[in-house]
Amino acid sequence: MPMKLTERSFVLLLLLPATLFLAAFVAYPLFLLVRDSFYEVSIYAPDERVFVGVDNYLHALSSSRVRESALRTLNYTLIALTAEFVLGFAAALLFNAMGRRSEILRTVFAFPLMIPPIVAGLLWRFMLIDNIGIVNHVLEHLGIIADSSDISWLGDRDLVLFSVALPNIWLTTSFVALVLYTGLQNIPSELIEAAKIDGASALQVFRRVTVPLLRPVIAVVLILRGIDAARAFDMIWIQTEGGPRFASEILSIHIYRNMIRYGNIGEASAIATLFMIAMVLVSSIAFFTIWGKGTSQS
Amino acid sequence: MTQPSTERATGLVLLALIVLVYVFPYAFLVSTSLKPPSDALSIPPTLLPQRISFENYTIIGDFPVVQRSFGNSAIIALLSTAISISLAIPAAYAIARFATWAGKLFLIAALVTRLIPPVSVGIPLFAIMRSLGLIDTHLGVALAHSTVSVPLAIWLLASFMESIPSALEEAARVDGCSRFGALFRIIIPVAAGGIAVTAIFVFLASWNEFLFSLLLSSTGVKTAPIAIAEFKSQYGIQWGTMTSLAVLYSFPVIIFSLLMQKRILAGMTMGAVKG
Repeated sequence: MPMKLTERSFVLLLLLPATLFLAAFVAYPLFLLVRDSFYEVSIYAPDERVFVGVDNYLHALSSSRVRESALRTLNYTLIALTAEFVLGFAAALLFNAMGRRSEILRTVFAFPLMIPPIVAGLLWRFMLIDNIGIVNHVLEHLGIIADSSDISWLGDRDLVLFSVALPNIWLTTSFVALVLYTGLQNIPSELIEAAKIDGASALQVFRRVTVPLLRPVIAVVLILRGIDAARAFDMIWIQTEGGPRFASEILSIHIYRNMIRYGNIGEASAIATLFMIAMVLVSSIAFFTIWGKGTSQS
Repeated sequence: MTQPSTERATGLVLLALIVLVYVFPYAFLVSTSLKPPSDALSIPPTLLPQRISFENYTIIGDFPVVQRSFGNSAIIALLSTAISISLAIPAAYAIARFATWAGKLFLIAALVTRLIPPVSVGIPLFAIMRSLGLIDTHLGVALAHSTVSVPLAIWLLASFMESIPSALEEAARVDGCSRFGALFRIIIPVAAGGIAVTAIFVFLASWNEFLFSLLLSSTGVKTAPIAIAEFKSQYGIQWGTMTSLAVLYSFPVIIFSLLMQKRILAGMTMGAVKG
């Protein structure tokens, strides 16, 4: 080791191992992904590649199955995100209003955070089985449905996207609630008091004080949860593997299947590249609109 | 004076509702795993076992691949934790202590990796691991898991290290300690709590990971979640055994989380709220 290590070279030396790792196992794979998207290449003979230009992209964009799974990814994300945000925000406000007494509630609420995603998927699949699942049994008992085979949660093509979102909502509403609760706790109570003294109603306080101050936290929560929902794979895979007849096949499942079942690396790479670009674009736009507005106001 | 009691009643109703929705599904899973296998799908479903039976657990002995998958998951998670923590400590230290463009760039790059769908990295990783001869090896899967964990660990560790007063290292440096000495003798011991929390996060991330394991492992190092997911296709759906496997698989996660609940929640929410 040299006697005098300048600060600059010390910092670069510290960053070097992680940089090399991420270059080799994240950046290089992404380079290969984009490169392969211009080739026709099969998983069974990866060395025999044929350059096909943008054919894979054209094929992907003109395929109705790809378009449908992109739309499904969007719908699934919106379903999960809306439910998690509304329920999570309501719970956070409730905990905040209850003050210290909410501790037991929060502890119970945090329970799903400790459950592995595939167990959550499996669990809900088990509870939603037609005819014999406990959910339909309870609904029948309550008189909401006439017969326990009336709702086919995972077999009905129109319903399945909601059903596969259930474990996701169950698992992560608590995360949203606890993050927003921490955000609410950080709002100085003097601000709320001052607004009340000025004669603001509870709703006005919420809209004019709470929400604007909470904006950065809301932005982070929505973006983090949105990204995770859009990238979902395991919870849906374990419930339906994308079925019935592709009705719950979102993009990551479609790409996986294209690669593994059909061995189509070129086209899978093209769709995965488009997916990645869309994710970066949508999250950047979301980030700058929600967060950007908040900081320019204050 | 009715207000406190109605408030109390509302509180209790809410508690009951939340317990029902949030704890019941898992309790039902545990209860099912303790029924005799043939009762897993009884009509109508019963909440509690008519008689306690451990058959769903003992039957796992007949499936060596499934048994081994738990060991594989543990080895891979430990490897991935070792890789991620040893790469993340120096990087996090550089970012937390020295305001350089390289550090900032790094932090942004780490954030961007979160946006990338795992399947986009997974496809080419398959080819890379194949050419390195790492398909179906513990190291191959652990490296893949680390692509997610290294950025996560850097973020968490950087925020832990920022809270350590820099006067500590300055004093050590004045006393003749080298830059690396200050990192190893001062920062790492002081940040040990934060490192432990980060290590648990990284361990659990690997233990829970599904897609990379599915792509990169076959019979040799198949991890527990894959073995559980495939259990149905190979032997027909045997819900009894699946519930007992799910309980065994989630058990370490629940124990870890309960032990460190406060710190884990703080860690999970910290990054977001500081944002």
